[in-house]
Amino acid sequence: MEKNNEVNVAQWVDQRLAILTPRNAWQPDGADGLQRFREQSAAKSSWKQAWTWPAATLVAAALILFFLAAPPPRVLAQRCVDCSVALWQSFSAMPPAQPDLQPESARKLAPDFALTDVSGNPIKLSDSKGKVILLNFWATWCGGCQTEIPWFIEFQNKYKDAGLNVIGVSLDDDGWKSVTPYVKEKNVNYCIVIGTRAVAKQYAVEAMPATWLIDRQGKIAATHVGMVTKSAYEAEIETLLGRNATKP
Amino acid sequence: MSQNHSLDCYYNVNASSEAVIEATSQAAPLDIESLFRIQFVRIARIVARVVRDPARAEELAVEAFVKLWRNPQVDTARAEAWLYRTAVRLGLDDLRRQVRRARYEALIGSVRGAPTPEEIHSANEEQDRVRKILSILDPRQAELLLLRSHDLSYTEVAAALDLNPASLGTLLARAQQSFRKEYIKRYGKK
Repeated sequence: MEKNNEVNVAQWVDQRLAILTPRNAWQPDGADGLQRFREQSAAKSSWKQAWTWPAATLVAAALILFFLAAPPPRVLAQRCVDCSVALWQSFSAMPPAQPDLQPESARKLAPDFALTDVSGNPIKLSDSKGKVILLNFWATWCGGCQTEIPWFIEFQNKYKDAGLNVIGVSLDDDGWKSVTPYVKEKNVNYCIVIGTRAVAKQYAVEAMPATWLIDRQGKIAATHVGMVTKSAYEAEIETLLGRNATKP
Repeated sequence: MSQNHSLDCYYNVNASSEAVIEATSQAAPLDIESLFRIQFVRIARIVARVVRDPARAEELAVEAFVKLWRNPQVDTARAEAWLYRTAVRLGLDDLRRQVRRARYEALIGSVRGAPTPEEIHSANEEQDRVRKILSILDPRQAELLLLRSHDLSYTEVAAALDLNPASLGTLLARAQQSFRKEYIKRYGKK
């Protein structure tokens, strides 16, 4: 019985895969293919020949110069320390990032949505009314998102009691399959939901990372498409939480 | 006349595994151009099962040969198996890229240009479904199904995927089960 079932499955799959067989009329153009193969291999080989020796000579010359002309290691180390200190001082002297929030009168209501978290619990944006919300659209393959996620984890820890709620909406194609291991690995401590086409459209997500800061009245106070510095986020969050004297 | 003759050397080749091994094993080092003449049509047809556009399939088949040329560690006896594996992987990678791009374009509602005549000609709902399932499956299982369904023998498939021929039947049955399960999950039993 089980054997019959296996045979049936094999036949069923074979029938479907047979659909992919290219039309008999189609013949790959071998002559053209061979020509392209010759061109590509010739291009790569001439590139290799053209660059191998000059590159090797350049690296060797740089190494020789470095060892001949560089100061002794202790002086080099001292210089590195001096440079680091100078850099740190120049950064710490910079004025703190200014919040870039919309004036309260110009803010629009954030579109509500209802999605589910990893446990299947419904998550509505409106449930967080009265809190400041950081709404981040992200994906596991998005480089910028991976830089920002540790900041959001830190914000959730630091400002949770003050009334911040971070929500991450993943737009990964395969949903929880990619997201669950990623979230576990990064120890994400805020709410993660899987986004839908409708929600992405509501917020007009065109690129990632995309982040919205929503005030306590549920209105959009700031929109950031692409990466923003950590200090800029922090300044805006603190202003929205009422911790900062600066008001938009 | 001369052109027809040059094309005949691609179309009338008996590309059975034995013939290729015999033809290529005598040449040392690996004579890629001979291998190309013998194998190109078969490799391009394998890729064309995964990639919708035949021109793209030819490009990827050429790419597989260029990769072989750049990899001098592949010996003559294993070159054919290496080519099958590389071609199927290139095809599947391209398919996944297409599926991801289509999904993302649909998600953000961007306007895509009008379909090309080739796309219109080859648009086939059932083919698209099968390709979609292949793009979702575990890559090893997708490779196994594709090579086996292209009339490659168990020995050839096992050599191409570095598998033990004795366990191929079990792995194939598992891959078929996964394919069917995923297909029914998405499109129902019809």
